[in-house]
Amino acid sequence: MKRLIFILFPLLLLSCHSRNEIAYSWDPVYNIEVLWDIIDTKYCFVAEKGVDWDAVRNTYVAKAATIPQGDPVALFDLCASMLDSLHDGHVNIYTSFDVSRNAAWYDSYPRDFYPIQQSLYLHDYRIAGGLQYDTIDNGKIGYVYCPSFSTTISAANIHWVIKAFMGCKGLILDVRDNGGGDLSNAYRLAAAFFDKDTHVGYWNHKSGTGHFDYSSAERLTVKADDSPSKWLRPVVVLANRRTYSAANFFLDCMTQAGNAVIIGGVSGGGGGMPLSYEMPCGWTVRFSSVKMYNTNMQSIEEGIAPHLVVTTKQTDTKDQIIEKAIQIIQATTD
Amino acid sequence: MRLPARHIILLAILGVLYPVHVRSALPMHENILKVSFGGAWQVDPYLSAFRYDGLEVGIGNEWWQDFRRKDTLTSWSHVGRLDLRAMRLLNPPKTNAYYAFGGHAGWGAYYRWQPLRQLQIHVGPYLELDYLARMHNTQVNKPYSMDLGIDIEAMAGISYSFAAKHTSYRLRYLVRANLLGYEYMPDYWQSYYEITEGVAARHLCSGMWNRWMLRHEITLDFQFPHSTWRLGVEHEYLRYGTRDMDYLRQQVHLIVGCIFRYRMHPAVRFDAL
Repeated sequence: MKRLIFILFPLLLLSCHSRNEIAYSWDPVYNIEVLWDIIDTKYCFVAEKGVDWDAVRNTYVAKAATIPQGDPVALFDLCASMLDSLHDGHVNIYTSFDVSRNAAWYDSYPRDFYPIQQSLYLHDYRIAGGLQYDTIDNGKIGYVYCPSFSTTISAANIHWVIKAFMGCKGLILDVRDNGGGDLSNAYRLAAAFFDKDTHVGYWNHKSGTGHFDYSSAERLTVKADDSPSKWLRPVVVLANRRTYSAANFFLDCMTQAGNAVIIGGVSGGGGGMPLSYEMPCGWTVRFSSVKMYNTNMQSIEEGIAPHLVVTTKQTDTKDQIIEKAIQIIQATTD
Repeated sequence: MRLPARHIILLAILGVLYPVHVRSALPMHENILKVSFGGAWQVDPYLSAFRYDGLEVGIGNEWWQDFRRKDTLTSWSHVGRLDLRAMRLLNPPKTNAYYAFGGHAGWGAYYRWQPLRQLQIHVGPYLELDYLARMHNTQVNKPYSMDLGIDIEAMAGISYSFAAKHTSYRLRYLVRANLLGYEYMPDYWQSYYEITEGVAARHLCSGMWNRWMLRHEITLDFQFPHSTWRLGVEHEYLRYGTRDMDYLRQQVHLIVGCIFRYRMHPAVRFDAL
């Protein structure tokens, strides 16, 4: 019996140590070093951002050494400042007292969306899942506003929207200020504009620690069956710089729809699928780990240019982008 | 007992020479209802470099039955298991949690050797279906993921029955290790891109080259006062190796079970009534 216990005991105590394991610590230098390393090895756009990431490390490790121990806010601000150099809306730190975010990618672009202007077109509207919809131009044109892809958009939601616009000449689909959400909602909404499966791009994954370590590219396809209800008449998609992430991918899909015209401003990008990791102090850091491309294998991280650039100013009495969309639909169908 | 390897070989030879062959007996059916609770540890370097640890609870059912051919019991018996488990693990700063709920369902067949009257050795194959739904709130965009896999395993065991202080006991040690398997990670739960991508999309062939699983338990069955009970400890070790990452999980549970033993009567044909 004693021998049996001797045989079993080491097995019960098999170490749970892993070569990847880190220690819990609030040391500012250690946290900055680990955060730098997470981005260096796991973030998929280090090379594309054109930042001297090694120089960033030297700068911020030196700054971290000057931060007092036990000051989480100072450490957070320093980490956020380091990540700001990437100008990426998908790179954030989540703590119980704040979430870091970068605004540089949209701050220097026209706003191009004012809810007060939009309310002239969308005031007594219906809501189908994540879609707000109504007819405009005396019922001749359907207008759909999709503020986010975080709210589910089901095939049934799309069906009811299209059914409401049966008598319309065209459709305006507004994804301005749509910061993204679930990619499957973007796929499903896009499927309403395709009558067959359509190749819309590629993605590949960060597969190693080097800045250029990616897996082979995998095709991205909009599956027509995802939305049995179809809209094959003219559609004008409205975008601005805050059209981001999953909404940016939706625009990429719509560039392949034969009946779609994209107008407004260049979208914000965010063409990477985010992943999260943990810092030694327990904070969560989010970053892109999967890179997305259009059908020409060009990254969509920096945004998608519209077919026609149109802006609207806060001083305008009407939304100039919606007005332009109405003109386009009237011109194509009259 | 200075050379245990020699003893093991001797016991195996004896077992081959004297397999269990109880003739003209009804098959013994043993059913165990059990609860388990214990600790679990995990390192998932895809999502965190921290070691997560916490608690796990489970319920399960296990049955053993001898195979019968005509009116004769053979040296084979089969075993089925169904386990449901839930765990909650925390990172060291307690800022993020990992929740998992899942289960195993398996079936296997043992060949039994009985080299001594009180000693039985079991060896055989085991087929297991694993399911685990996971929620890891470190993963901001996609906190949910799941694993579904099927494994062919090798199992072995040894049990020793003895009597002491007017009660009979059975001490048993069982071990299972995976040989070959298949893992499925559905596209919708896009969490583990790097692990699944490049290996035939969401389908992963697992084996001893990329996945090491060891489950072993030591149990003591005893009567108290007129029922049969089981106390035991189970340890599970699971390690995935993919590219530069090693996923590691360990669980140790205390098992408390109640054993029901009965003999199965041969099926009575309806037209014979």
